[in-house]
Amino acid sequence: MIYIGAEVIVSPLGDNAEDNWQALSENRSGIALVPAAGFNKEDIHLAKITGLSGHLRFQQLVIKALASLEERIDASILASDRTIVLISSTKGALDDNLHDQFSETCTSVMQQFNLSHLPIVISNACISGVLALNVAGSMVETRQYEHVIVIGCDVASDFVLYGFQSLFAVSDKPCAPFDAARNGITLGEGCGAALISATKSVFKNPPLELLTGTSANDANHISGPSRTGEGLVRSVHRTMEKHGTGAEEIDFICAHGTGTVFNDEMEAIAFNRLSLADKPLNSLKGYFGHTLGAAGAIETIVCMQMMRNNMLIKSLGYCDAGTSQPLNIILENGPKKLRTILKTASGFGGGNASLMIRNL
Amino acid sequence: MKVIMAYCNLRADECLVNGKVVMRRDAGSEDSWFKQIYKQQELVYPKFYKMDVLSQAGYLASELIKRANPGIMEAYADDEIALVFANASSSAETDRRFVQSYAGGGSPSPSLFVYTLPNIVLGEIAILNKWYGENMFAVLPKFAPGFYLDYSEILLASGSRAVLCGWLEATAGRTDVFLFMVEEQENGTEFNAENLLHLSRTAAAF
Repeated sequence: MIYIGAEVIVSPLGDNAEDNWQALSENRSGIALVPAAGFNKEDIHLAKITGLSGHLRFQQLVIKALASLEERIDASILASDRTIVLISSTKGALDDNLHDQFSETCTSVMQQFNLSHLPIVISNACISGVLALNVAGSMVETRQYEHVIVIGCDVASDFVLYGFQSLFAVSDKPCAPFDAARNGITLGEGCGAALISATKSVFKNPPLELLTGTSANDANHISGPSRTGEGLVRSVHRTMEKHGTGAEEIDFICAHGTGTVFNDEMEAIAFNRLSLADKPLNSLKGYFGHTLGAAGAIETIVCMQMMRNNMLIKSLGYCDAGTSQPLNIILENGPKKLRTILKTASGFGGGNASLMIRNL
Repeated sequence: MKVIMAYCNLRADECLVNGKVVMRRDAGSEDSWFKQIYKQQELVYPKFYKMDVLSQAGYLASELIKRANPGIMEAYADDEIALVFANASSSAETDRRFVQSYAGGGSPSPSLFVYTLPNIVLGEIAILNKWYGENMFAVLPKFAPGFYLDYSEILLASGSRAVLCGWLEATAGRTDVFLFMVEEQENGTEFNAENLLHLSRTAAAF
């Protein structure tokens, strides 16, 4: 069995998973209007971490998350040559060094935590986090490593904001995934970390089970979602098939739900094709914004918290159905026994990835 | 046995397929090196001109592998070929050009922005070939055979039947591209660290 636990989130909602959970259970959002943040000095909604500024913000976040994770595990495994760290990120320390966005952080993390291996960076746009968790699970499954720590991290930058503005993809209000009036994304920053291991005893608190999934390309467009949801359908189908999981076993779906018209429509089509449209579903982008390479890690960790608390969290920003196919979007927080959940992600480059978590 | 059935190296001045030089750079040409290869090899895919250098490199090397090894891809279903690429500089070359588009008084260029992610090249290859398989892009300090060996082992044990691997370093001052196809076959160059290092340096040896 592959275990996942010791989860950590550093986000605008708090410095650890518990503070983030408290905020989510109160439906507090980390999104705020930032004056003159846009390319033409427009006010822009962003989910930024207060107090995170200056140089090496990416590195600061990664180190903070790993230090927090260290307290939740048998810390002696960090230095083991059977342990590796995977960092999922799109733009890393772009603001510190455009030409080399990851080396300094990887080297510093290795030295500071006395790791045996240099961390590996996985950079697959918005599916990076889910993909890294799947790679981690597979590395443990095939005994390449005993313990794999996944750290998903991206920080807000003018670079990325201006880019999404140039695509007319930034929402003029806090993003509203799946809502009829959605009109784009809200960018966020944050870091999510978790330990994946075959050894239950290295976790201080009981872990959950990671049912590693698969990825699939849309083979459609580098920056536009497929109209048929083909890649997402294939990824989820293969993930469920791999574990012999039937649709009736899925208790909840944590969707990607960016809040753009075309992404959310694509997901609605895919979940209908998969006969999963009746499952309670949310997007967490209304709380954290879109944290890009960190999103899959942060959102999977929230799923774990939902499972630990047996509670569904409402899809913030959603009011009226806004996709051509119906979805069962969570309107209010509420108790629900969560045994098996599905997490999905889709992104630029046509990537789609999915995984499942099971409560033990 | 896992073997390397076909490979392509693009260096600063030469282009090799399966270890043989198929073309050398014309220093006097006004065209970029990648455009020279595209034209001289008579490839036809107008989207090539929209791509950034990373995607052009991946496109050229994967097409040259296909051309030199007819039928190599047809043995597989549309989701059985995984793509596993890596490099050291991520999309830094295009990132720099995107910053230039807005830092000097201009406006951020959407056509550059969409290439400011290293995995876009995987999307381009998937779109061209209609491949729905697994994709991964990693950023590593240098070419590391162990990375490809480890992750290919995982993919080939979980549904993929072939892996198109790539090391894609293509910046203004540096061209170091090595694509290779890993398959399960009875004969061929064994897929191991020693052979990978050797083949990755093929160009330098000639």
